[in-house]
Amino acid sequence: MDSLMERAAPCSAAQAGSALLPALHLPLLPPHLYRPATSHEHKLNFRKSKEACLTYIQDAMLQKQWKRAAEFLTFYIESLEKDFSTEYMGPSEMIWRIGTEILCHHSYSSMKDFNSFIEQMKTLGVKRYLKVCLEHAFHLLCNGQTDEAYQNLSLAESWRFGEQTTAQDKELKLIQAYRGLLDYYSWSKQKNVLLEYDKEGFEDLSVEQEMHSSFRKAAVNLKEIIQIPGVWDVFVKCYVDLLEFYGDHDEARQVLSEYAYNSKFPANPNAHVYFYQFLKRHGEPKKSLISVLKILHDIVPSHELMIDFNTMLQKSKKRKKRRLGLEVIFAALDYAGWKENVKAWSCLARQVKQIIISEKHLDWIKQEWNSRKGWWPAFHFSRYLAKRNWQENESLAYEKALVAGILLGKDCKYFKYVSHQGCKDQKKRLRTLKKFVNKHSPVYLRISGLSDSSVQT
Amino acid sequence: MTSLVEEINRLEARHGCPQQHFTSRVRWFSHLCRDWLFEVPLDLLADCVHDELVLQWASLLFDDSSTGGALAWLPPEDAGAHTGRLVYPGGQAMNQLYFQDVVVGEVPRTRGSPAQFELNGRIRQVAAARVDREGFVGVRSDYHCGVWKVPGRTGAAPTPLQVIRTNVPASCLTVSPHLPGELAVCTQSGAVYLWSVETGLQQLRQDPQTMFFRDHSPWRWSEFTAHPRVLSCADRTGLQCLDARAPGRCHLDFFKVGEEAGCQQGERVVLPMYLGRAHPSQHLVATQFAVYVMDERLPLVPVLKWAHMMKDPPLFAHVVPGGPGRSHKVLLGASRTQELLLLQYTGGSESACQLAGPPQKLHSISGCLQHLPTQLPHRHWLLQQRLGAPAAGLAAVPHARGQRESLLVFQLSEAGDVFYQTLTHEAAQPRAPDGEDKDEAASSTSPMLEAPFGSTPGSPPGSGGEEEEEIFYLSNLEVIVNEEEEEEEEGTPAASEETQHPEEPCASPHPLPAVPSPAAAVRYRRWLKALFRDWRELPRHTGVRGPPTISQKRLFTRKDLGPPAGTSDLHVRARQQLRHAMREQGRIRRWDLGPDPQPLPQPVEPAAWPDALSARLTAAWAGDLSHWWEERLGLNMAQRQRALRERRRRQKRARGHRSLSASFTSSVTYQSELSELSDGAPAAAPAPAPPLSPGHPEALPQVFTEAWGGSLAGGSAPGGSTPRRPPPSPPPAEPLLSSQTLRSRGIPKERRKMLRDYLAVCAEGPPEPLPEPPGSQPPSQGGQLCIPSSQSQLLGSQPRRKRPRMGF
Repeated sequence: MDSLMERAAPCSAAQAGSALLPALHLPLLPPHLYRPATSHEHKLNFRKSKEACLTYIQDAMLQKQWKRAAEFLTFYIESLEKDFSTEYMGPSEMIWRIGTEILCHHSYSSMKDFNSFIEQMKTLGVKRYLKVCLEHAFHLLCNGQTDEAYQNLSLAESWRFGEQTTAQDKELKLIQAYRGLLDYYSWSKQKNVLLEYDKEGFEDLSVEQEMHSSFRKAAVNLKEIIQIPGVWDVFVKCYVDLLEFYGDHDEARQVLSEYAYNSKFPANPNAHVYFYQFLKRHGEPKKSLISVLKILHDIVPSHELMIDFNTMLQKSKKRKKRRLGLEVIFAALDYAGWKENVKAWSCLARQVKQIIISEKHLDWIKQEWNSRKGWWPAFHFSRYLAKRNWQENESLAYEKALVAGILLGKDCKYFKYVSHQGCKDQKKRLRTLKKFVNKHSPVYLRISGLSDSSVQT
Repeated sequence: MTSLVEEINRLEARHGCPQQHFTSRVRWFSHLCRDWLFEVPLDLLADCVHDELVLQWASLLFDDSSTGGALAWLPPEDAGAHTGRLVYPGGQAMNQLYFQDVVVGEVPRTRGSPAQFELNGRIRQVAAARVDREGFVGVRSDYHCGVWKVPGRTGAAPTPLQVIRTNVPASCLTVSPHLPGELAVCTQSGAVYLWSVETGLQQLRQDPQTMFFRDHSPWRWSEFTAHPRVLSCADRTGLQCLDARAPGRCHLDFFKVGEEAGCQQGERVVLPMYLGRAHPSQHLVATQFAVYVMDERLPLVPVLKWAHMMKDPPLFAHVVPGGPGRSHKVLLGASRTQELLLLQYTGGSESACQLAGPPQKLHSISGCLQHLPTQLPHRHWLLQQRLGAPAAGLAAVPHARGQRESLLVFQLSEAGDVFYQTLTHEAAQPRAPDGEDKDEAASSTSPMLEAPFGSTPGSPPGSGGEEEEEIFYLSNLEVIVNEEEEEEEEGTPAASEETQHPEEPCASPHPLPAVPSPAAAVRYRRWLKALFRDWRELPRHTGVRGPPTISQKRLFTRKDLGPPAGTSDLHVRARQQLRHAMREQGRIRRWDLGPDPQPLPQPVEPAAWPDALSARLTAAWAGDLSHWWEERLGLNMAQRQRALRERRRRQKRARGHRSLSASFTSSVTYQSELSELSDGAPAAAPAPAPPLSPGHPEALPQVFTEAWGGSLAGGSAPGGSTPRRPPPSPPPAEPLLSSQTLRSRGIPKERRKMLRDYLAVCAEGPPEPLPEPPGSQPPSQGGQLCIPSSQSQLLGSQPRRKRPRMGF
């Protein structure tokens, strides 16, 4: 019918044209109103409406109108009809992602709906079967259905689909790892049960056996994922816990040092932290602890462990290590996150005080101070900060005032403000501080290099 | 340039079309360039033009000059105070910088009039940070960057500190959150500077190449990091960290577009931002597809990634830190589409980073339109334009009063308007009914508009509300939480925000309601009134452009302009009509021409005005212009032609062959050709053109008849005004301009094309002025056809004018 009209319309127009000379141009209907779309146009329109539909869905979702989004999604499913897209994300993946999101938030959705939707999605896209499975397991876990999640993961693990299985190798590894994690979870539950029994004097062989089998399953899977370069903090921690429980310290140590020092892995400060904690747990000598923390200091000078590192180094008898300790604490205080850390400031104050009292190694302070004297006064020792620190945290103000008094002299704003306030409040602690700074005021000249220049001139 | 090329293309497309008019732009261009254009090597010129077009095209597709946003909020000195400062550009050219005190509340109020600075460039970016007590505001325009200091006390005036000038446009300016008076500046040449007000500029890097792979964009960005001496430095391919103490050696790859971050193909960094207020070591990296949260301690691997699916890349971002146990809120804004997204995430130190709740879309400025009262179409259009202007900046202010917490979101548009919306906090509830109930959706949102700041009582007259751009108003797309929900909230204090549960739907903008609240409607109306008032007060020329006019002083002497000797009834009437028409800016249709000629009350005495113009007008009046035209031009030209040809023949004989580089002589030839052409030279003229016969040059008059004929009914011949309609002849210019002809005239080959184009343009020159009513001679001739005075005589006078220079 449509094609008939298409032919008829131009024909009549031509007749009209030939009959009346000169040509009389009657206003005809615009062609798109009577002519059916060509296949090309149709394709274009289809694409356009697909995009429009997607925009509506997005709009509804971003405004939390889940119901509206769901309605649009039912229309969008039609786009699967001609899914030749080579885009980054095809319609089937879109539907999966959007549908999951909607079902997570839609008030009327139930777990059952979610599961059936996901099952459909699994059959719809073989290319990301494992991804969908993994996501499904996460969702089940979030809803407390651990057993279902475990089943799901085991099922996914045994999935075979020709080349597709090898193509999704990465996902498969992840699925195995998460299954291992769930095994670990049940292992630790059983372990706790056994520990309870132990207290009460019971013995349960079946639980023990179950626990051991969980251990084996978990260990195999976890070990595998750890071999691949990546950030696997959760898996590594669990695996080390397992190994430690069964007394395999060498293996644990091996795993942790590999995780920290293998250059193929991304630089991960946590890896060093885990290694350090492991070594500390097993009473390793200070030397190895220090070497681990030294590397951590090189990567992340602002790490929380730097305080431990500094105290460790301060206690050391070696000069070089004490020198490093000063460097570490100065470097940590460079960072904005440490500005109000009382511990760090007291570490610095203590060490600076020690150095001054012993009157040795003043050049250490001088060297550290040299690169910082341009900006530390404004960064740490402004009058505004003195006021605020004094109001919020007096002991912080005290520690900082000591450092300021030594590094910048007794005329510096911070020290002046704090000592003035302290005198007003009759604080004994401040009186000793003031005395100390006044006594050692020549030190300031030496640190800041003023005495040298005055000698020269 | 682009539009010029378009116009020329259009001209070519309409080649031979009788109904063509020259746009003044093309004429100006030819005026500007005809003396030198042929001297420029065409390849070079083409390259340059091409490069420029590529640049222009790129900036049309994506304009990154406003990255970072030009709206900044300076929070009050202590958290308890409610008066902060909003810094934003305004003015017609966005070159005024305003510092406006704003009292934060449920409905933000301005206090006093803004401090104002005039800069000599369009403000692209305003960045601000509060260090200790003082606020520092960095302002970037293309070639200048400036820094202002804003004292902490409210009401204290901001003081400008320093300005730097760059040779290459600056692309980034950020203010250090750590040290007073420190800023980071990047230029499009790839240089990164640390700028300290006290010590000046320190160059950290100078590298026109991008960092990780080749990308053509000259855009660079720099942000401060957790360490006050370390700056992050970004281009489209990624981020690096640079240590200012040893900029040469110390750098660390921080973010790379590629495998580690799981980037898509073609993904590029659009906006990096330091999230120091949320977590000291976190950074936000936005690309056109996704946003990443990066941690300085764990470089290259994002700790959070989310595909934002915005239609336009996010150019503005703002972070509102959440307290302990609360989520951090990140606002992302796009420029062209005005999109605004709110993203919440938690974690960083103790726990892993994760998104808290689904991201939300906030209201955009153009969404207000539907809540404004119905307008007349032209006003509606104006409003639409105004509200649809691209966004230029973004700021957010958290506000708490008692239990009620809210977030004010300010949005700046390129028209200079600032809008706000309020999001109220809602403690997380297990399975909160997220706006599913219809009644809830209907009653939840009320968009409101604040009165224009200019009309706040106490503002000095003259500073506000005079210019259109001064209108500064806030729109409040506020969320009033449904009462039911509020009760629930009170009933379950355990689910307060201090528990580990993140406040998932912190702010929930529900769908826009059908009706704004009465208070909002009042504000809308007030704003509209102010807008239209200012619109009316605008000088006319900034509005819709009327037809351009030219001065007639040089065209006519005083005597010409004076009343003609015999002032008759007709003259008086014609003058009146003309005046009337001019006042109304209408056209004097009736006088146009004679499809229905006015009965002439009195025959005109042509002999009374012997000058050429009068003669021409008389001829036109009598409908005999074409004849007159032939007479006037044909004779002259034929004579001159003959003389010229004579001379050329002599020259040829004298010199034999002409060298290629003889541009001087060749320009002589083309001048002569121009003169040939301008009188509608006959077609098919081989080298020695035959003398022009009076029958030929109908080309020009024919243009008129056809043009007029088109507007008449049914294409029938206009009554009697044209003597004959000869069969359509081929366009006269073509054969004349054939390469053969040109070669035969000794035009160098490489110039022929140019010459042909040029001549083609001239041949289609502006038609002669339409005949006018006799009484209105001078003004209508100049005014209606909008031909600059020299142009109106182009055809006849040009060869004459050129002659002395050309060595005739």
